[in-house]
Amino acid sequence: MAQPGFVPPSSSDFFYNPSFGSSIVATKPVMLLLFSVIIITAFFTLSARKSAVVPSRLQFAGEAVYGFVRNGIGQDVIGEEFQRFTPFLFAIFTFILTNNLFGVVPFMQFPTMSHIGFPVSITIFVYIVYHWVAIKKKGLGRYLKEMCFMPGVPKPIYIILAPVEFLTYFAVRPLTLAMRLFGNMFAGHLLLLLFTLGGEYMLKSAAFVKAFAVLSFGLAIGLSFFEMGIEALQAYIFTLLAALYIAGALADEH
Amino acid sequence: MAGGTPDDGAFWTITSYLIAGLGFWGGCGFAADHFLKTGYWTLIGLLLGMGTGFYLIWIRFIRDDLNKPDPRLKK
Amino acid sequence: MTSQLLLKAATVYKDAPSPVVPSVAEIIVGLIAFSILFILLKVKAVPAFEKAYAARTAAIEGGIEKAEFAQKEAEAALAAYTAQLSEARAEAQAIREEARVQGSAIIEDLRSKAQEEANRITTAARASIEAERQQAVASLRHEVGSLATELASKIVGEALDDQVRQSGIVDRFLADLEKSEK
Repeated sequence: MAQPGFVPPSSSDFFYNPSFGSSIVATKPVMLLLFSVIIITAFFTLSARKSAVVPSRLQFAGEAVYGFVRNGIGQDVIGEEFQRFTPFLFAIFTFILTNNLFGVVPFMQFPTMSHIGFPVSITIFVYIVYHWVAIKKKGLGRYLKEMCFMPGVPKPIYIILAPVEFLTYFAVRPLTLAMRLFGNMFAGHLLLLLFTLGGEYMLKSAAFVKAFAVLSFGLAIGLSFFEMGIEALQAYIFTLLAALYIAGALADEH
Repeated sequence: MAGGTPDDGAFWTITSYLIAGLGFWGGCGFAADHFLKTGYWTLIGLLLGMGTGFYLIWIRFIRDDLNKPDPRLKK
Repeated sequence: MTSQLLLKAATVYKDAPSPVVPSVAEIIVGLIAFSILFILLKVKAVPAFEKAYAARTAAIEGGIEKAEFAQKEAEAALAAYTAQLSEARAEAQAIREEARVQGSAIIEDLRSKAQEEANRITTAARASIEAERQQAVASLRHEVGSLATELASKIVGEALDDQVRQSGIVDRFLADLEKSEK
């Protein structure tokens, strides 16, 4: 248990003062986010530059990620029209993956997506895209009708079902999309902070407690690997759900 | 975190329906209790919301799945 | 104990900011950053990757076509080779057969020729032997006749000479002699 003097990590550990000046742009998360844009673009531009039939190692790595999103998510989920959405899904996946992995990269060690503002901004794009696609394809009236009134249900029941369906499409989906990503990254980082700060605190304590510090650091390292898995998985799930929502918007039935 | 398969889609669709059902009808019940100064509408609303959620899940994944596979479920 | 802990937690976290209230500035930064990334990837990376994909597909399909062509070619070559081989085999067989036939014919021919030659030689030898014998017999007879005549004339006298000769006494005598010998 927390001994007197130990300050457990809290959400305040997630908020940084600007490194210089007073603008929010100068805080660590925002700088990491902008840095991610640079390295993602650099990596994939370099990797795709030659577009050789027999790929170099770099091109192979880039193509593996691209192929995973294009075929594994885009083609499998959306089907025929997937090519239109490939760049969008590719940007989502690489953006989230890179920013999540910052959580375990030494010296960065902060998952940008644990600031809810960033998942929200990506969710806004997904939200706009899947509604836009559906409205463009079916028209607003048919879209809402198909959404709220699924066929084969007794008419009075629609009074109960329709608001729930409506809420699902317009509120619950974006909320869960953003909250899931944020929550996983926030909790994961908090857990790592707890073991790291705890180990650090124990290291300053009495000799026999120091032994537990080793355990604490060991757990922090083990959890870092676990976190890496979660970070990749969350990037995948976010992209997959975006693709599923787009697929649902394109689908004719229901 | 619920597995890394495309079934996540189904998992989160189900979750969304339940949240929406419970949220909407539970909220309606809560509002009714608040304005009518009663104490049971919240419970009724929550039950109705849960029922609605399950009903929608049933329609989406069991009934329609037999006739025409939901595009969101296809691999 | 638990309530004390909760109390402590409450005091520790009292000033902590809420993590679920998004900062508008961060949302805007996120929107801008994502837009930039999306445009850059769409313009720079995706077309190049698609190009590589298409090129690879084409290369693979071209490779398959090429392989199919090579296969067909190889099959044709094999068929031609097999045909040639069987043709050559048949030809060899025919040649061998012919040679065999010819060989036996030659042997037969040679044999008959040799036989003929042998016969001819034998016949010739026999004829010449016969002729010589005849000659010998004739000359012997003549000589014996003349010798006997001469002898007889010496004994009997010369007068008899022509008469005996004309009457063929000697000849008759000799014939009688031959008869008695046989």
